[in-house]
Amino acid sequence: MKENTLEKEIISIIADVSGFDPGEITPEAKLADDLEIDSIKAIEIVVAIEKKYKVSVRDEDVPKITTVSETVAVVHKLLNQELATNVRN
Amino acid sequence: MSGTDRPSYDAVIIGSGISGLVCGSYLAKAGLKVLIAEQHHQPGGYCTSFVRRGITFDAAAHSFGGYRENGIIRKVFNDFRLNDNVAVTRYDPTDVVVSPDSEISLWSDLERTIADLGSSFPDEQDNFRKFASFLLKPDPQSFAGMRRWTFKDLLDHYFRNDKLKSMLSFPIFGNGALPPARMSAFIGAKIFTEFILDGGYYPEGGMQRLSNALAESFQHFGGELLLSCPVSKIIIKNGGAAGIVIGGKMPVSAGSVVSNCDARQTFLRMIGKKHLPLEFMNKLNRMQPSLSMFVLYLGLDQEFENTLHAGSNIWYLSHYDLEKMYQSAARRSPSSIDECMVRISPDRKNLLAFTNTSFRNRAFWSDSKSTFIDGFIARLSRIMPGISQHILYKDAATPSTMYRYTSNYRGAAYGWESTTAQLADPDFRRPSFIRHLYLTGHWSTQGLGIPGVAYLGYDTATSVLKRRKASLSQSSPE
Repeated sequence: MKENTLEKEIISIIADVSGFDPGEITPEAKLADDLEIDSIKAIEIVVAIEKKYKVSVRDEDVPKITTVSETVAVVHKLLNQELATNVRN
Repeated sequence: MSGTDRPSYDAVIIGSGISGLVCGSYLAKAGLKVLIAEQHHQPGGYCTSFVRRGITFDAAAHSFGGYRENGIIRKVFNDFRLNDNVAVTRYDPTDVVVSPDSEISLWSDLERTIADLGSSFPDEQDNFRKFASFLLKPDPQSFAGMRRWTFKDLLDHYFRNDKLKSMLSFPIFGNGALPPARMSAFIGAKIFTEFILDGGYYPEGGMQRLSNALAESFQHFGGELLLSCPVSKIIIKNGGAAGIVIGGKMPVSAGSVVSNCDARQTFLRMIGKKHLPLEFMNKLNRMQPSLSMFVLYLGLDQEFENTLHAGSNIWYLSHYDLEKMYQSAARRSPSSIDECMVRISPDRKNLLAFTNTSFRNRAFWSDSKSTFIDGFIARLSRIMPGISQHILYKDAATPSTMYRYTSNYRGAAYGWESTTAQLADPDFRRPSFIRHLYLTGHWSTQGLGIPGVAYLGYDTATSVLKRRKASLSQSSPE
């Protein structure tokens, strides 16, 4: 998947959870400070990502997700790993 | 609009639990026209009181937390000037845990708790300080990183002594109905923070005062509160919630519908299967509710002398195996009432005690309520010898009573069971398949207790306002 398509999808997930309009959400936006993402919503975002992309976000990666672009990067990496695994199999 | 003369609101809220009241108050304060419809004759859900023989008893919730400087309840009090009507007292120690070998007092002063811990668990004093400092540090991402951890994992991370871990887990079991190995670390941590480290507050005059003050504030900002008005249906139009039907006959239109009642009632009874995606239906049917509880209410004469801290939540465990307690709660019998919480009112006129219990069915509880009352009094006599000679009044709420007053599925005390597997599905708060519908309260996500559901009420109001603003700016001008 192209990264800008992925970014749009992730922004849509974050918009759903945060209540902010997708148009207001920039890649640089900080989840906690700018988008009022509390701990429950941080989990909701991870759960929504896992459900949509059928991936598993590692516990140690969660604290790294503090901005929209970092969220995209983590999912991008997971999807590539998934793809590589599928090709190998 | 439909062109009919049916009443119309910007938002309607089903249920006046604390979450519904807080949500409604913020929406009304923001200028929205809001209606709250409540089935019971008084507001509050589990945060209500009743009077018998001149004594005020709290029905279920018996103290609250989240009242520290940046706590959510403090914010609600400030935003709605509730202190003008409600005097809040903090009882100290907030909680006491009594085991066969030792006793831990949890004081409002953390250093005092740590100092006291030295008498039984000197090696764990520093660990307790680290644990408390982690809990009080508001870092959403580090909490989110624990989403697969159980509360046991979290305790194992900080503590070594198994007896201490069980003692610290027991109030979490009482307030969340799961043993540490089953409970999500996230929820366990929230309960420990909001109920224990910042708990023990009480509205003078009874818990109903808190609910009433919120209801009055809601009405002060123009909100309409209908009591004794059960909602039979949520009206769905073009894939969105468009209103409710009260009592099977009175339709009301609304821009947003917020349900502060049981999730199964909301989806299966008020909305109906035909509006629910199959995948969601399957998930709803797999979700496990938390255990219910059996609450004993005793009115005491003034001759009864005991040394228990009045106003503190006192937790009794006679062994350290919380998994066994959970199994025993699921098959509770009058002779197996053992672990429990006891709270003597500050004026020592009444006592509330409860133990986690499964629902069974209505017939079971109407047949066995009185033997459970006697069994519970026998248990309390081991803690407070002679108490049975000083009882002026006795009654109890069974899981069936919990269901009757709140419609909570199987009389659940804390919404869905707080396991990691059931944690944080956004579809239970803002279903993606029905626009303009919100759920708030302990069935909507993992937030429980008065601070937890108040926070969800505030957050739901924020969501409603954000989405309303977005749709207003998109739809104008036409």
